[in-house]
Amino acid sequence: MKFLATINDALDELMARVRPLLAVVQDGRRGAGAGLLVGDGRVLTNNHVVARGRGVTVTLDDGASFEARVLARDPEVDLALLGIPPNGHSAAVLASATPRPGQMVFAFGHPWGQRAVLTGGVLSAMTSARTRRGEIPVLRSDVRLAPGNSGGPLLNAAGEVLGLNAMIFGGDQSITIPASVIRAFLVDQAHRSAPAEAASEGLL
Amino acid sequence: MSNVLVELSEAMAAAAEKAGASTVLVDARRRMPASGIAYAADLVLTADHVVEREENLTVTLSDGTKLAATLAGRDPGSDLALLRLERAIAVPADPAKSARIGQLVLALGRPSADGLEASLGVVSAVGGPVRTQRGLIDRYIRTDTTPFPGFSGGPLVDAEGRVVGLNTSGFGHGAALTVPAEQAWKIVEQLAVHGSVQRGYLGVRSQAVEIADAAQVALKREQAIGLLVMSVEAGSPAESGGLMVGDIIVGLNGQAVADHDALFAGLAGDLVGKTIPLEVLRGGQPQALKVVIGARP
Repeated sequence: MKFLATINDALDELMARVRPLLAVVQDGRRGAGAGLLVGDGRVLTNNHVVARGRGVTVTLDDGASFEARVLARDPEVDLALLGIPPNGHSAAVLASATPRPGQMVFAFGHPWGQRAVLTGGVLSAMTSARTRRGEIPVLRSDVRLAPGNSGGPLLNAAGEVLGLNAMIFGGDQSITIPASVIRAFLVDQAHRSAPAEAASEGLL
Repeated sequence: MSNVLVELSEAMAAAAEKAGASTVLVDARRRMPASGIAYAADLVLTADHVVEREENLTVTLSDGTKLAATLAGRDPGSDLALLRLERAIAVPADPAKSARIGQLVLALGRPSADGLEASLGVVSAVGGPVRTQRGLIDRYIRTDTTPFPGFSGGPLVDAEGRVVGLNTSGFGHGAALTVPAEQAWKIVEQLAVHGSVQRGYLGVRSQAVEIADAAQVALKREQAIGLLVMSVEAGSPAESGGLMVGDIIVGLNGQAVADHDALFAGLAGDLVGKTIPLEVLRGGQPQALKVVIGARP
C-alpha cells in the first residue's frame, strides 16, 4: 500500500509541475482545445484547433487570457504556433529518448471541456500516418482521448513531452504527433521568421 | 529526473521488451496479420481463428526475421493453434504460474512491421469453465486492456514480462478473453504430439433434472441436480460401461456432475483410453460404474 501511496504522491508532483504549461485555446465560438507553452510567449497547438485563425484566445493556468496571433501553421502535420505577450513563461521540455512500447504515458488536456485532466495509459505503438506530403511518424497510445485533448501534450513519466495529441487522423485510436515532428516544425518556423528568435526558444 | 513514476514506467517498458522478444507476427489470413507467442525455439502458439489457411504461413520474429511455418496442430475449442517454424531460432516465452485480480498487465501484439504494440490494464476477472462458440475452456482471464486489431494470439504479460496467457477475440460475443498460460501450455503439449486435443467422449444424451430428496439421502450428499440419460449411443463407451437410459449421472471421476458444463469439463482432461468411475442414480439408489473414456469424434 505504501508503494501505491508513493506513486500517488509522484502523480501529484507531476501534475503540479506540468499544470502551468497547459493552456486553453479557443477559436471564436467553437469548442476549446488545448495548447502547450513551448517558449516565452509561444504556445503550440493543433492546426485544426485554430482552423479559423481569427479571434484566437489563449488562457493560461493562472487564468490570464490573451488574444493570440497564429505565427506559423502546418496543416499536414496538424501543428500551429501561437504568439502571446512574453512574460517569462516556462517552457515544456521535449523528450529526447526514443519512445518504448509499454512505457507509461499521460495525455494532458481538457477532455469534454474539463480543465487540466491527466489521463494515463501506455505507449502502444510507433507507427506512421499518411499525409499529402507522404508518411509522417506518429505515436499511438491506449489513452482514451476526447474532444478537448487536441493540442495537449502526451507526457512521459518524467513530465517530458513525447508529442502533441491530435484526433483528426480518424479512427478510434488516439494519435500523437511525436516530438521529432514538433522539433522539425519549430526549427522550420524559427528559421523562416527571425533566425535571432530561434536562439531564444530554449527548446531546440 | 528520476522518481518512482519513471521507475515504474521503465519497468513496464522493460517487461514489454522482454516478452516482446517472444512476441511474433503471424501471417496466416487474408486480412491484417495477427500475433503469436514463441513457445519453443521452433514452435509458435497463436489463436486458432487467425489461422485461416493451412499453407503459405509465415512468422516474423522480433528481430525481423521472416520464417516459413507449418501448422503443427489446432484446437478450435480453446482457440489455440500451434505453428512449427522452418528454423529453431525463436526466443521461447517465460510462462507465469497464475493471475491475480487487480494485477497490472500488458497486452502485447506484433500485427505489423512497425514493431511491438502494447496496451495496459489490470486482471478484471478469472473464471471458468466457459462455453465458447466451438467448445469450452476450463479457465479464462478477463482484463481491461485494449485489444487492438491484430492482437489475437499475442501474450498478456505481467510486470516481470512473463506470459500470463494468450489473448484472443475469437470466442465471439465481441469480447476479448485470455486463455491462461498454464492451460495453453498443457494444450500445446497435446497439439505438439497429436496435432489436436483429444477430448473425452461418453456417448450419451442427457438432460438436467432435479434429484428427489430421498435419492439425495441415499447419495449421502446434497446435490439437487443431476443429468438424466435420455439415450445411449450404440457401441459407445457409455453402453460398454453399462450406462442405461433413465440413469441420472451425478458424478464423474470423483467430482459431482450437476450440469452439462461440469460433465464437459470433466471430460476435457487427458482421460481418453482411461477407465474412469462414473456415479449414477438408478431407481433412486447410487451405483458405481466404470467407463473407458473414448475420444470425441
